[in-house]
This record gives sequence, structure tokens and C-alpha cells, in this order.
Amino acid sequence: MINYFIRRILIIIPTFLGVTFIVFTITRFAPGGPVEMAILRYRQMQMEGGGGAMGSHGTAISEEMVEKLKKIYGFDKPFYISYLIWLGNVVRFDLGESYTYSKPVWDVIKARFPISLRFGVAGFLLAYLVCIPLGVLKAVKHGSTFDFTSSALVFIGYAIPGWVAGIVLLVLLGGGSFLDIFPLGGIHSMDYETLSLFGKFWDNIYHMILPVFCYTLGSFASLTILMKNSLIENLGKDYVRTAFAKGLSEKTVIFKHTLRNSLIPIATGLGSVFSIVISGALLIEKVFNIHGFGLLGYNSILDRDYPVMLGILVFSSILYMLGNIFSDFLYCVIDPRIRLD
Amino acid sequence: MNKRIKSFFSPLLIKRIKKFRSFKRGYYSLLIIGIAYLLSFFAEFIINDKALLVKFDGKKFVTLYSDVSLKKFIFAKAIETKENYFKYKNIPATDTLNLSDEKFITLKAEYERYDRIKKDFDNHRVLRKIFEEQKRGDWVILVPYSYGPNENLLDELGDRNPPTGPDRKNFLGTDDRGRDVLARLVYGFRIYMTFSLLLTLTSYIIGIFFGAILGYYGGKVDFLGLRFIEIWASIPFLFTVMVISSIMIPNFTILIVILSLFYWISMARYIRAEFLREKSNDYVQAAVAVGVSDRKIILSHILPNSLTPAISFLPFTIISGIAVLASLDFLGFGLPEPTPSWGQLLSQGISNLSSWWLTFSPMAAMFLTLMLIAFIGEAVREALDPKIYSRMK
Repeated sequence: MINYFIRRILIIIPTFLGVTFIVFTITRFAPGGPVEMAILRYRQMQMEGGGGAMGSHGTAISEEMVEKLKKIYGFDKPFYISYLIWLGNVVRFDLGESYTYSKPVWDVIKARFPISLRFGVAGFLLAYLVCIPLGVLKAVKHGSTFDFTSSALVFIGYAIPGWVAGIVLLVLLGGGSFLDIFPLGGIHSMDYETLSLFGKFWDNIYHMILPVFCYTLGSFASLTILMKNSLIENLGKDYVRTAFAKGLSEKTVIFKHTLRNSLIPIATGLGSVFSIVISGALLIEKVFNIHGFGLLGYNSILDRDYPVMLGILVFSSILYMLGNIFSDFLYCVIDPRIRLD
Repeated sequence: MNKRIKSFFSPLLIKRIKKFRSFKRGYYSLLIIGIAYLLSFFAEFIINDKALLVKFDGKKFVTLYSDVSLKKFIFAKAIETKENYFKYKNIPATDTLNLSDEKFITLKAEYERYDRIKKDFDNHRVLRKIFEEQKRGDWVILVPYSYGPNENLLDELGDRNPPTGPDRKNFLGTDDRGRDVLARLVYGFRIYMTFSLLLTLTSYIIGIFFGAILGYYGGKVDFLGLRFIEIWASIPFLFTVMVISSIMIPNFTILIVILSLFYWISMARYIRAEFLREKSNDYVQAAVAVGVSDRKIILSHILPNSLTPAISFLPFTIISGIAVLASLDFLGFGLPEPTPSWGQLLSQGISNLSSWWLTFSPMAAMFLTLMLIAFIGEAVREALDPKIYSRMK
């Protein structure tokens, strides 16, 4: 068992190398890279400065200049050497400097973490708080009108991705076309600094309501159904029959005996808490204009800000792998019958 | 082959199909989605900026899919009349040129007529109006809803700026480039369904192929294959797809290829597990003992018995295919412009929040489609589930 997890952790290394190498290589050979962008900017500057009179003479860029630019952006060496240099820096926790923010990549990413984390954790907790009781209730009342009507909610959850619901909510409640109850996005109001302590607190909550709702919607359907099916499966088992035969009340049987066993598959999902800041958050952050981790990655792709892009890749791949391992680990801890090897 | 089909339609499968049909909600959803998808291939007959039939100068043109022959004809005619007209006009002997000369007048009228048609033959709605005005026995049969998905309606919106709201002409309004939203939704449905079905097909083929090989051969093959799958599954999928797609502007095929690279993993895992379980059964041992080839055992003995997870996940794979295409389109890393796309409409919706129809139309389309497929998925899952939930009390 320990062997298994050691192996899983070791596998992070080749995966990490593989993923970063592929993306690094792509960035090296993609058109529109930083050197070309810089040349373009330089030309525009010359055009504006020298006017039309300079003609083609003024817009030409010397070979020397191009070489210099290549050196600045580290494009003067073959890509595999650059990759090794980059990797060496990453191992020393140096992710380079962002092209667009002119700050170390680490600082840029660090600033975004708490924002994504706040929304991710709130959505995650809310999903568990809503889905577990709902799933239990649906299982206990399987086949009743309540089960049937709440299934409608579950299907809505399947059919509307969280981010689509986000846009609809903005149109409906964010002052788009109908009611103007909630803010359009962001995390604070404009006058945040002038607010009282309680005002600040409320302002944060106020900005979180719609996005957190969308986060929750994302896992609502699958989590509820998982809980329901798991409980219902356990309710048909022999030990439940025995418990009833002993004369225990239905309440005791369900909540003391069955529920604990049926929480096992749900609990494994807790492992994804690691990747909470990256999984699916990008779309919701884009909709609500939350400047978190996901939106940073999106903008870095649009701006061709390669150091940030690779930095995001480093973080998201490691977090994602750790999350997976943690899920399996929890699975083993909670259910001792499971043996992974 | 016949035998294989027979073995595929085993009594068990027939029983399951019967059970599936007994779940009315899922069964009717399948019918609705299936018919809607089939009909969408004839969308050109209902929603199209091109006319169904055009009669012009005694010739009939079928313009539904392409109006090139009509355009060529009009163009040739226009040039011919123009040449005739100018030839006649430029006859040097002035005494023969009389402005009230009948031949001259008819030539001039003819020239002007073709010139007018030539200007607007792209827009069949205008063409019809011209034909009606000219009363020359020409006619245009338009389809019931004569707006195309990629047709720019800026000229017809008058002084209104797109996006314009729903009205009697454009039932769901127009988007920010003045294109009809309803037409884009309908063609988008066809594209999204086709995309998702193809993506499911390719990822299933890859997944089943790998899963079958790993599960059947086991041992070292299985070990190495699993390690590879573990590594592959650890790639942050959406981010990587976005990076690739930002660099090579993808089209329909490339996008399917890129996404299939990531979509096959879960299916490979399920099929591998099924194969591991099935291969220890007696019928497989028997087949090995009588010397049936590996290929045959995999394809016609184990595979039909291992498809349960493949079938029960099918509807949900299709749902996620549609959702992922919508999100990529929304982010601008999906199908290229001007492909009619729900995700692209949603991204217009968020930059034009006061134009609610840009958000609500694709949302409703997506909601209905995904909901119907989810109903199918629920029914399939229950039909394949041998367990009958029973509980004490």
C-alpha cells in the first residue's frame, strides 16, 4: 500500500517533465511569440515617432537588434537548452518574470491564489452542505413525490453548466436586462476602502453570492445522485435487514448504520479540494470577472505571456496530481477493505 | 459478420432494450433528440437565406444548397445585355440613333433590369421583391424562415443597431454582427450534436482499443499502459487544449482530434476493468483452448460482454462533449468564425448583457438538448442495472 503511494508520488516527476516539455516546446515554435511582439511594438514606435517620411528605411530592424531581443527573452538558444535552463530555475522556485506584469511570476500567481481559493472553498462547502442532506432525503423517500420533484432540480443541474447559469443570472439579477440586485462581478465594490468593517464583510459576501451559487451548481447534480444511489444501495444490504430485525428504529438504522457506510464514495471526492482553485473555475471567473488563478491563466494564453503560462501549468499540474493521489488515499483510509496496488 | 451481429443482439440485450423502452421519459427523449437531429440535416429546407427554387428567364434553378449556377446565369446575362446596349449606344452614325428608337429603349430597359438584379442576387428576399416589381413571370420560392446563419442583415435592420431584439421578422433577434439568432441556434444544434457524437465515437474507439489490449494481455503491457494512462490523465486538460488551440487556430476536425486525445482515458479504464473480469470466465478459457485467435476472442467474445459501461456512459459523454465545445467557443478557443455556435452566442451575451435574447436563446437550446440526453442517460443506466432497489420497511 505504501509502495503504491510512493509510486504514485514518484510518477508526478515524469508527468510533470512531460507536460511542461510539450507546452514549452509549443511556446517556442508558435508564431506571435514575445520577440515578434517586441519587434512589432518597436516598429509602431518608430512609425509614430518618425512619421511617414522615414518610409521603409526607418521601420527596418537590424539583425543586431533582433539578436538582442532574442537574448532578452531567452530565445537565442535551442529550445531544449532553454527548457533545461527554465527547469533548473523552476527547481530553485524561480519561475521567471512575467512579460505583461513586469513582476516575478511567483508574485503574480501568489496574489491570485486567495481569491480563487475563497470562491472555490465556499462553493465546495456549500455543495456538500446541500447535496448530502438532499441525497439522503431522496434516498429515504425514494419513489415519493419529493424524490420526483427534486429530480427535476438534479436534471437542471445536469443540463446547465455553472458558467452558463452565471451569465443567465447576470442578465436576470445583475442589472443586465431585468433586475439590478447583484453586482456585475469582481470581488469588491468601488468604494470598498471607505466601508466600515461590517460593510466590508457584507460587501465580500454580496459579491460572492452569484459566483458561489454557480460553483455549487457545477457539482450539484452528480454529488446528489451519488449520495442517493450510495445510500439506497446500502439500504438493500443484509446488515440493514439485521438491524431492522433487531428492532431498531428506522432513524437509528439509517443515520447510525447506513449513512456512515454510504458516505464513503462521497468522502473520496474531498480529494479534489486540492485542485479546487483550478478545476472548472476558469469559466466562472471569466463570467464574473474575478481576477483569480483561472482568469490569470486565460489572460496569459491570450497575451502570450509564456512565463506566467508555464507557471500556471506547473501549479495546476502538481495540484491536480496531488489531488488525485489524495482522493485515493482518502478512499483507503475511510474504507479499509479497499486495497490499491 | 452475421454471426457477430447475432451474438451482439443477445437475448440479454434485447431484454435491456425492452426495459429501456419501458422508461417512457428516457425513451421519448431519445425519440425527440433523434428526430430533431435527423431533421437538422434538412434545416436548409426550413431556415436558409437561399431560396428553394428560382425561376428566371424561363429557367428553373435549385438554389437550396448552392446558388452558383443562378449567379453565373445572371452574371452572363447581365454582361450580354450590357454589351448589346453599349454597342447600340455607340453606333457612330448619329442619324440612326434616335432616343425614342424602340429597340434602343428595350435594350436600355433590359440592361437596367439585369443591372438591378445583378446588384442584389445574393439576397434572395430582395430578389423576390425585384421579380415581383418587374412582373416578368420570374419567381422565387423562399423557405419558410428565410434567414441564414451566416448572413449579415445590417442592410435590412435600417437604422437599428445590432444586436436587435426579437421581432416578427427575426424571431429570436439578431446578434452583434446582425445575424439571425434562430438560424444560428438551429445550425449550431447540428454542429454541436455532430461534433459531440464524433468526439464520443473517436474517444470510444481509442479508449476501447487501449482498454481491451491492457485488460486482455495484462502483465507488463498492462503495467506500462496503466502508467502511461496515469501520466496522460494528470495533464490539466482544459488549459492544455486552450494553449494548443491558441497557437494553431483549430477547425472542426483538429478540435475533435485534440479533444479525443484526452477524452478516451476514462473509457479505457472501464473497458480494461471489464476485460480483466471477463477474461477469467470459462467461455474465454474455452475459446483459448480450442485455439481461437486473440483478435477474435477480443472482438467477438469478450467485447460484446464488456460494453455495459460504454453504453451506460454514452449519453453523459455526449453531454460533456457539448459542454466542452460550448466552453471552448465561449472562451474563443473553439470553432473558427463564422461557424454558428452556442458558446460564441453566450460570449456575445456576456458582452451585451442588456440584450437578453443573446443569452437566453443558446441557454434554452443547450438546456433542452442536455436535459433530454440526461433523461436518456438515466433510463439507459436503469435499464442496464440488474439490481432492483429494495429496502426493508
